[in-house]
Amino acid sequence: MNLALPENKIPILRHAVMTGLLVVVLLLPALAETPTQQQPKAVALVKLAPPHIADIPNDDKGKQILLGRRLLADTKKLLPNNVGAELNCDSCHLNGGNVPFASPYLGMSVNYPRDNPRAGRSVTLEERVNGCLLRSMNGKALPIDSPEMKAMIAYFNWLSAGLPRNAKVEGAGIGKVDNNLVPDPIHGKELYEAKCAECHGTNGEGLKNARNEFVFPPLWGAESFNIGAGMARTYTSAAFIKNNMPIAHGLNAPLGQGGALSDQDAVDVAEYFTHQPRPDFPPKVKDWPNGGKPKDSRY
Amino acid sequence: MARQMLNAKSKSLMAKLYWCCACLVLAATAARAETAPTADSVERGSYLARAADCVACHTAPGGKEFAGGLPMPTPLGRIYSTNITPDRETGIGSYSVEDFTRAVREGVAKDGHYLYPAMPFPAYAKISDADIQLLYAYFQHGVAPVKHANWPSDIPFPLSVRFPLFFWDMFVRRGPFQPNASQDAQWNRGAYLVQGLGHCGTCHSPRALTLHTKALTERDGPAFLAGAVIDGWYAKSLRGDKDGLGQWSEADIVTFLKTGITDSTAAFGDMAEVVQHSTQYLTDDDLAAIARYLKSLPGHQKEPAVAAGAHTASSANDDHPTRGSAAYDEFCVTCHRADGGGVTHIFPALAGNDVVETAEATSLVHIVLSGGRRPRTTARPNPFAMPAFKTLDDREVAEIVTYIRTAWGNSASPVTAEQVAKIRATLTEAEATE
Repeated sequence: MNLALPENKIPILRHAVMTGLLVVVLLLPALAETPTQQQPKAVALVKLAPPHIADIPNDDKGKQILLGRRLLADTKKLLPNNVGAELNCDSCHLNGGNVPFASPYLGMSVNYPRDNPRAGRSVTLEERVNGCLLRSMNGKALPIDSPEMKAMIAYFNWLSAGLPRNAKVEGAGIGKVDNNLVPDPIHGKELYEAKCAECHGTNGEGLKNARNEFVFPPLWGAESFNIGAGMARTYTSAAFIKNNMPIAHGLNAPLGQGGALSDQDAVDVAEYFTHQPRPDFPPKVKDWPNGGKPKDSRY
Repeated sequence: MARQMLNAKSKSLMAKLYWCCACLVLAATAARAETAPTADSVERGSYLARAADCVACHTAPGGKEFAGGLPMPTPLGRIYSTNITPDRETGIGSYSVEDFTRAVREGVAKDGHYLYPAMPFPAYAKISDADIQLLYAYFQHGVAPVKHANWPSDIPFPLSVRFPLFFWDMFVRRGPFQPNASQDAQWNRGAYLVQGLGHCGTCHSPRALTLHTKALTERDGPAFLAGAVIDGWYAKSLRGDKDGLGQWSEADIVTFLKTGITDSTAAFGDMAEVVQHSTQYLTDDDLAAIARYLKSLPGHQKEPAVAAGAHTASSANDDHPTRGSAAYDEFCVTCHRADGGGVTHIFPALAGNDVVETAEATSLVHIVLSGGRRPRTTARPNPFAMPAFKTLDDREVAEIVTYIRTAWGNSASPVTAEQVAKIRATLTEAEATE
């Protein structure tokens, strides 16, 4: 609080810097104990502290940000020509992309363009969004300069406002599980039926409400993501499951998400559900042109 | 007042008469009681102990069942529940059936000291002789003895002297269960369970300034089960009020008590524990009887609970969201959905939910701040939880709560940041830090 920040700086920046400093201070003892420091410098993690939607200004920019948010939350309905699956962006990027290890949108704007081994080159944020539309949503790409793409990018930018270039955000990505764990799909099926089926359906068909709208996404079948999606990979999916599933499990905000399964259980259930029938992805032949294909790739 | 006192006194006299009769009956059966009861008696006693939810208070978190030690805050200091296992030294192993009866019905321990009225003995006074015998059989022969000395209360001397409880006790309205001859057996069974073993009124009936429960049966008037704030939660009206059980069918009540949820709502707060430890184990017949009895209690004529036409935060057609609807979108919408309809059997609906719409917003604000888990029941083994939003400030919580109280056709009064601050102050240590 006694840092002399210019008053015209927006609160998020102050917040980010403060938490970043705090994390560095907390990390210092751990670093001191490391005999040989592998990393040349300490990476300051920025706390995942999203700005509040209630603070979005009531102007044209604000309208664009809110449109972007709506498109991400209600993608299938608003972009039916671009989404093949019965999924929304928020089906994986939970709760408007503000959940740690549910691949939060916060921070993405300052980390793209970035290298993408699957593409074998650097990709822009717009290209990454289209990657999701093609694979995770089994659909078609959006024009880069379409108002919808611009609106989504505007929402990402608003979430990341004030973050420095390449800022490491706490809870970025989906976390990790040990990919040496050997999956047991039989146990995975048992777990799925006990812990997942209530919301995602015994046959992975998802759950609709009385208005026939999906409230829990289909996990396999024609209406789910194709084999080109990162979520189709056992260990990627397991990390997501461990950190995020089920929601409404604990008292932790914002969703009470995750913490229900061990790494092994998460690997088992991921192996089971990812390997159920799902759409193919013909352009898969172009993936990993420079090698480095992960062992849980589906092709 | 004088009439009330007379009334109380006459009831007290009746209780004493009843007590004498009960003693005679018990003395006559004492010889039989000393011999080991049948397995069936123990089993039936176990069911009654479930119905009375003895385990809820007489077991500490992580402690042995019925060994006591659960801290209970009172305005004077913390008291601890007691060991009711049959351990002879530290529990109730040396209790005769008469000692046991006196403790359960009169609130007087074997050594003559008065129990703190956290023990709902005014309600338990309604338990029949036959059921007391079965409970005794269970606690002597169906529960494993645990050596665990009772903890003294934190109440400082001289307030810790229990003798004055005698005077408090004198004014407890009480008496055995009185069946209503004009009602059928099912209704009377429901009345017996609600008033006695279930001790529903301990939380759901308002208390007088003296902390006496204002009404112990439907005959005591409209205060009975009319709803009350207790431990930072609003134990709702169980009468036919609009924010009580007015919108519930008998089938809804049965499903709620059996599974912890209905199609559109879920038990939370202390009620989640009641369902988990007690009501889910009741037979369908007993649950139907409870529902029948509760639905026979009329609502109040006036409807103070819901403030009409308070659509202050509605924003359905506005271009730009209000602060409340924006916050709802950010923090609540994934589960409770944009239309406030929730998800059947999984996430409670907020639209048309009497917990949301009641004038007494304590529970609504409390659960936003503390979160909560719905009960784990045999019928619904996945105990979905609501996350705690205590990191939101008072203003933000007030905006969200006001929004959900006025959106989708809900029409309750707004909630202020000051109200949120007061409710925040009632959170338990665990709720505030977990």
